[in-house]
Amino acid sequence: MARAMMQSPLPSPSKPLLLPLYFSPTIATTILVSSTPLRLLLSLHCPSKPNSSFCCHRILPALHSASAFSGALSSSLRSTATAFFSTSDNQLNLGDGSETREWPLQDFYSLRRDVETISERLEEIRASAGLKQLEEDLAGLERAVADSSFWDDRVRAQQTLLTLSDVKDRIKLLTEFKTQAEDAETIVKLTEEMDTIDGALLEEATSIVRELGKSLDRFELTQLLSGPYDKEGAVVYITAGAGGTDAQDWADMLLRMYVRWGEKQQYKTRVVEKSLGEEAGIKSATVEIEGQYAYGYLSGEKGTHRIVRQSPFNAKGLRQTSFSGVEVMPLLPEESTGIEIPEEELDISFSRAGGKGGQNVNKVETAVRITHIPTGVTVRCTEERSQLANKIKALSRLKAKLLVIAEEQRASEIKQIRGDAVKAEWGQQIRNYVFHPYKLVKDVRSGFETSDVVSVMDGELDPFIRAYLKYKYTTTSMPAVGLK
Amino acid sequence: MRLAYHRPSLSLLFPIFHANPKRSISNFSVSLLPTSPKPQIPLFLRPPTYSSTISELRKWRKWAKTLASSVGSKFSESDNGPDSTLLLRELNWLVEDAVETHHLLSSHGEDDVEVKLRLKLEDLYNLWKQRIEDRRPFQYIVGCEHWRDLVLSVEDGVLIPRPETELIVDLVGDAIRENEELKEGLWADLGTGSGAIAIGIGRILRSCGRVVATDLSPVAVAVASYNIQRYNLQDKIGMKLGSWFEPLKDVEGELAGLVSNPPYIPSEDISGLQAEVGKHEPILALDGGASGMDDLLHLCRGAASMLKPGGFFAFETNGEKQCRILVDYMQSETKGSFRDLEIVSDLAGKQRFVTGFRSR
Repeated sequence: MARAMMQSPLPSPSKPLLLPLYFSPTIATTILVSSTPLRLLLSLHCPSKPNSSFCCHRILPALHSASAFSGALSSSLRSTATAFFSTSDNQLNLGDGSETREWPLQDFYSLRRDVETISERLEEIRASAGLKQLEEDLAGLERAVADSSFWDDRVRAQQTLLTLSDVKDRIKLLTEFKTQAEDAETIVKLTEEMDTIDGALLEEATSIVRELGKSLDRFELTQLLSGPYDKEGAVVYITAGAGGTDAQDWADMLLRMYVRWGEKQQYKTRVVEKSLGEEAGIKSATVEIEGQYAYGYLSGEKGTHRIVRQSPFNAKGLRQTSFSGVEVMPLLPEESTGIEIPEEELDISFSRAGGKGGQNVNKVETAVRITHIPTGVTVRCTEERSQLANKIKALSRLKAKLLVIAEEQRASEIKQIRGDAVKAEWGQQIRNYVFHPYKLVKDVRSGFETSDVVSVMDGELDPFIRAYLKYKYTTTSMPAVGLK
Repeated sequence: MRLAYHRPSLSLLFPIFHANPKRSISNFSVSLLPTSPKPQIPLFLRPPTYSSTISELRKWRKWAKTLASSVGSKFSESDNGPDSTLLLRELNWLVEDAVETHHLLSSHGEDDVEVKLRLKLEDLYNLWKQRIEDRRPFQYIVGCEHWRDLVLSVEDGVLIPRPETELIVDLVGDAIRENEELKEGLWADLGTGSGAIAIGIGRILRSCGRVVATDLSPVAVAVASYNIQRYNLQDKIGMKLGSWFEPLKDVEGELAGLVSNPPYIPSEDISGLQAEVGKHEPILALDGGASGMDDLLHLCRGAASMLKPGGFFAFETNGEKQCRILVDYMQSETKGSFRDLEIVSDLAGKQRFVTGFRSR
């Protein structure tokens, strides 16, 4: 999805293709008068990747004959020109290649409508994204970078560079969108003016419109992700609720769902820790999903997920309800957390299960649990190979968690986090997955639902994510505040 | 009859071998060039000169996983050993250490892609079999232990550093932060085993701080020396073969700090320990006599004369009872010698360490 946002593989506009086509009618008519426009025609023809066989086919004979002596030149060009115009009478141009199809007028009109719609939508987006403001910001940022004292404050300099690259990318994207929309508009206008229907070109316009639509969807989504940590990668922590094997199996299904989602988005997805249930499933698992905006997308997954299905572990196949909890934290690089938490506020414990410990025991139980006493926020880290390494990682995760909670509560300092509010949020049920007696997945907050349970469990979460983000955007009135 | 004797100075040479004082002088024989046991190279440091196909490796891993899962809670119920979750975690780490490109295992490529291994595939089978059937410790199988921010070589004959002991380095850190002059003195790690504590302390002392590490076992001396060299601390940390304070006679009263994780398990408990410990780790490093406190008390008795005024000490014990006995002992038997005696808990909440300072 938006993972590819910044390097969005937008379909390459076929500009070189269009120019010769656009100019050729006029040139063809004037060619008989003077030879200079012919040279113009020659230089215009440079389709690197001719998508439309129409263009190549028509221009090449003109050029080919241009290399012949001028006597035959004018006559052959005249014939090409007439050939050019003769085909224009044909409403149903079957095209030259086998890949073009018939284009009845109806379809052309609806394509024209689609192009109009998308152009309007694009203008709205460019306006709401504040293109003008972005360009002003860019100028300001570039001035700052050019300043001689820019590198005096390294940390701020890094931040500014990041912001600069972000603004540049946005402007580039919005400009690219505009170019694409213009390409599609041009094709439509051309088709109208020439009164000819070229299947291949119109196919191209259709695909431009389609791709642009998807790109705009993605862009709108990232506009909704304006929180300070939304751009970061994510750490997802899944815990099976009470209910034994059924709940543990459910947690395992959720684990698979998120891993599949991460893979489909082309994020680097890694299950860093997994604690197996006795009979089946998992007791808990931690997944690290690296990539831009992973946290922004997944932050809405926080809460309790409920499943209703026929239990595969019960001989009678009774209908079972199970719960699993999902927590999501941003994957912050160590340097960026920057906050210090005093030792006295932390309760660090090490899960050496029972017994005398020390020399008596040799088990790879280096798991560390840290609780932030004032807020009650707890994190556990088990996957590193030494106690100290787990402690460092747990501390980093704790800081990330506190930063997120502070942001959600609009607290400007960790000190201001209300501990009781933290606890209350954890048990919130956010989504129901019903497998039996009917099939339905419904998000409690946005109301979005689908009966394609299989796809959802295979990682198709985008519709839910989009719906939740839109819901969140419309229900919050204040913009997100970053932490100092 | 001559005793090989070397006067220690601040530039401690390594390795220096001393006479074994536990033997009577008449039996004593001097060997000027004792054959030091050659330390084994940890698995993760061996060159990946072997290879296997992905499918063969996957086959092994599947077999290993099944074997680990079949254990269930058998070990933990019989002798507080590891359960399948821990064994599967160890298996992941074994793969990390043994296979050069282990991330390929989870990819969905073709089966006959070649992977480079640091040992023969059949050795992987043997090692895992040893793990599950013989209960050979995981750390001996991979030849190393991750401890604090270090990776230490360990092998049969050397005690595997415990996570609890990681705290001793933090306790030393706290002590030297409050008493700056301790950063530059000579510290001693008695019964160093793999050299873990010595290296941990060596890294936090200032440039003119020094550490002398001692152990009774030649294997430990060899392994500790190897680890010290790997962390390039051979100019800062010196090794001595010998029993407790014996090799340190001429720095008596000069030590800035004294730390130890001595054997502290009561003899009668040894047979009931989990098999990985009781049947494979050196009893010399575990057995503390009938009460478990033989060596701890010996260390307490010697500490007063070894430490300089204001010097710091930290000892690890078997728990609350031993901690209290030590503190009582120090307060009553060595009156006035120590101040600020403290009992410190480990991260599991057990009272694990006794610390204090030599009075001025």
